[in-house]
Amino acid sequence: MPGADPGRRPCGPVVVTGLGAVSPLGWGVGSLWDGVRSGKTAIGPFDRFDHSGHRTHVAAQVDLAAEPGRRRGKSLRLSLADRFAVAAAREAVALAKIDMRSCGERAGVYFGTSTGGMLETEVYLESLLAAMAGRGHPPSTSLLASQQNNGPGDAVARDLGIGGPVQTVSAACASGAMAIGDAVRAIRRGEVDVAIAGGSDSLCRVTYAGFNALRSVDEQPCRPFRGDRAGLSLGEGAAVLLLEPLERAQARGAMPLALAAGEAATCDAHHMTAPHPEGTGAAEAIRGALADARLDPFDIDFVNAHGTGTPLNDAAECQALVAVFGDRAPDLPVTSTKSLVGHLLGSAGALEAAVTILCMIHGEVHPMPDVGPAHPGIRLRLVLGRPLPLARARHALSTSLAFGGANAALVFTRHGDQGPAH
Amino acid sequence: MITGLGTIGPCGHGREALAAALAAGKPVASEVNRGAGLHLAHGARLAALVGERDVSRWVPAADARRMSFPSKLVVAAARMALAEAGIGLSDAGGPRTGVYLSTAFGSGLSTEKLLRQILLEGAEAAQPFYFSECVANAPAAQLAIAVGARGPNVTLTQRESGPLLAVARGAQAVREGRVDRALAGAFEELTPLLHALLDRFGALARAEGALAEMPRPFDRRRDGFLAGEGATLVVLEPEDMARARGARLLARVGWSGAAFDATASVSDWGDGRTPLAATLRAGLDEVPGGTAGVSAIVSGASGTRRGDRLEARVLRDAWGEVPLPPVLVPKAVVGEYGGGILAPGVLALEGATFGPTLGFEEPDPEVGVAPHGGGALETPSRVLLTGLASGGAAGWLVLERAS
Repeated sequence: MPGADPGRRPCGPVVVTGLGAVSPLGWGVGSLWDGVRSGKTAIGPFDRFDHSGHRTHVAAQVDLAAEPGRRRGKSLRLSLADRFAVAAAREAVALAKIDMRSCGERAGVYFGTSTGGMLETEVYLESLLAAMAGRGHPPSTSLLASQQNNGPGDAVARDLGIGGPVQTVSAACASGAMAIGDAVRAIRRGEVDVAIAGGSDSLCRVTYAGFNALRSVDEQPCRPFRGDRAGLSLGEGAAVLLLEPLERAQARGAMPLALAAGEAATCDAHHMTAPHPEGTGAAEAIRGALADARLDPFDIDFVNAHGTGTPLNDAAECQALVAVFGDRAPDLPVTSTKSLVGHLLGSAGALEAAVTILCMIHGEVHPMPDVGPAHPGIRLRLVLGRPLPLARARHALSTSLAFGGANAALVFTRHGDQGPAH
Repeated sequence: MITGLGTIGPCGHGREALAAALAAGKPVASEVNRGAGLHLAHGARLAALVGERDVSRWVPAADARRMSFPSKLVVAAARMALAEAGIGLSDAGGPRTGVYLSTAFGSGLSTEKLLRQILLEGAEAAQPFYFSECVANAPAAQLAIAVGARGPNVTLTQRESGPLLAVARGAQAVREGRVDRALAGAFEELTPLLHALLDRFGALARAEGALAEMPRPFDRRRDGFLAGEGATLVVLEPEDMARARGARLLARVGWSGAAFDATASVSDWGDGRTPLAATLRAGLDEVPGGTAGVSAIVSGASGTRRGDRLEARVLRDAWGEVPLPPVLVPKAVVGEYGGGILAPGVLALEGATFGPTLGFEEPDPEVGVAPHGGGALETPSRVLLTGLASGGAAGWLVLERAS
């Protein structure tokens, strides 16, 4: 690899051998797949915090009562986002059948988050302000222990006894996808042999109020790419991919779930909260990921789009897909996982990557709810209402487009279909 | 190759102000506004705050009104770095320019104002500006817009190790040909609320009896750090391209590495020096001359009890029986903020004078490292920058004299 650090050991293809997820559809990838396949949205009334003063009252929240093996005492200094992350990472490691502690400094964590422990920070500050006003006692600082954005990734690293690099990306809604891209590159460069890559975020008042202030939240569950779409719906959760070189996975008898074939990131450099209307930055990210995977647009079998449901995002993303896929765009199956679990912000890219892989494993593209009218300007083959059988899907694209114009694209390939280039 | 350096911090604007403060070796501290009543009565009072807050020389007013303070700092520091690199604003951006930043807390004031609006005035009082500026990547996005940087736009949030990881990440992108130019560095904003919370955590240095409030890196009596704020950015380019356009070469980015100490608690440093020392040792083996090839350490030590102890143990393990080279501790002067050691690392290679490490008077037998005492230093040819973060992450970066 040109310019690679001396002494590093470049590797061949990078594969996914473990998946883990916590989502509004349940704890675990089984619940996630069953849920997305059903096409029934988890977006609805929620009670994570008081939202009575808001214009909107829907979100997709994780059922905390279903948290497996929760030990309350141990969770005190972990934020909710940390707990999601740890649960997802444990599941991915278990599926990959790998002893992380034996990997020492050769294992790394690459995580994305947008708000980390903001939910707990809000509780702390509310209590502190109340105490200053003579109502109650000052809160315990333990609420703030995991306030910062490095919280989820660090919590995973501590839980798994990681000795290698730990890095948190906070690039808003592209964080999770960028973290996976970073992990893929770190393995290719030979910096680590195993990477835990993903993202985690919890619902919090800052993002709920903030997106409401921007008038970007739909009063109804979001309807990506539909004619009456009126905004996004927020969600929460985590997803983790366990990545390693194909050669290493085969040597230890692990089953590759998919190849992490390509990644790329760009920036619109256009506006803080609106995408470039022509989707130029997003299109460049997609082209970059395809080039990284040594694929042509023709090779992609389906797209798990960023698809937030905001009028601006979906229009720009449609433009980007048309720019890259040209005449083929109207025939290319497109779905949006956000229609079912909401927008997981910093973990959206990770969760959607996991869902994309699940679609390839099961040979079906999950549907979006068949609600709302078509939009005449959105000429994409949306997967609506029922799963689309796609048993021969070889390559899939997942996109993430963020606040501040950050774009990331990931390409996954079904194991065994990587072709001679790999 | 680093071809430009921009820095704005408690010492003032630019490298000259920073160099003067480092030579004096005196903490640039001022009183924090405690008027909101958030602080503990006997808590910390000082911070390394940016005093010279007018950056209109670098950020036009029309742009500045759409930016939070840290966004302005980042854009100003980047334009300063680009100017030093001899790159005009019209040439700075494009699809081959990437942005790689780091922050621990992001835009603190925007977050605080938004939270106060939500908690005290009601949810619908939230203002969009504070929301868009409170996300950690807002300054990176503002910088991308300001210079038209359409390459990767990355913000890392890995506490004290983040700045070194960000520069390393930018350098990797340049080496691998993913970008032709990277704007990399770190920023931090310190609000009175954040200062009060850090103090409530017991993280900050405090006055104790006859001892003044001061960070005391590696000293037996150290009890916390001096919180700081500012922004430091560098311009990274491929060496051949920089030479071809006749740029002044400030430093070469050499080895970089990262590791994690899983014995650390959520908010403190651990004792697990083994994986950290192993990674550092292996990395130094890649450096020409090994440990002997490193002529100074620009340490991220900041005066915390466990953090400085871990830093010292990792360094001593990595160097083994060989004495450590001079250990420079710039955070004693500029305070604890991400960029606090980046600019001093570059300046060290240019022969900057480093004054005595004020606050270091009583060696700690548990630590066993004596920081630079202020004497004359031979200009280092290669420096190791260290960043051990509370929570467990660690990063290292080697900078080499360009010639």
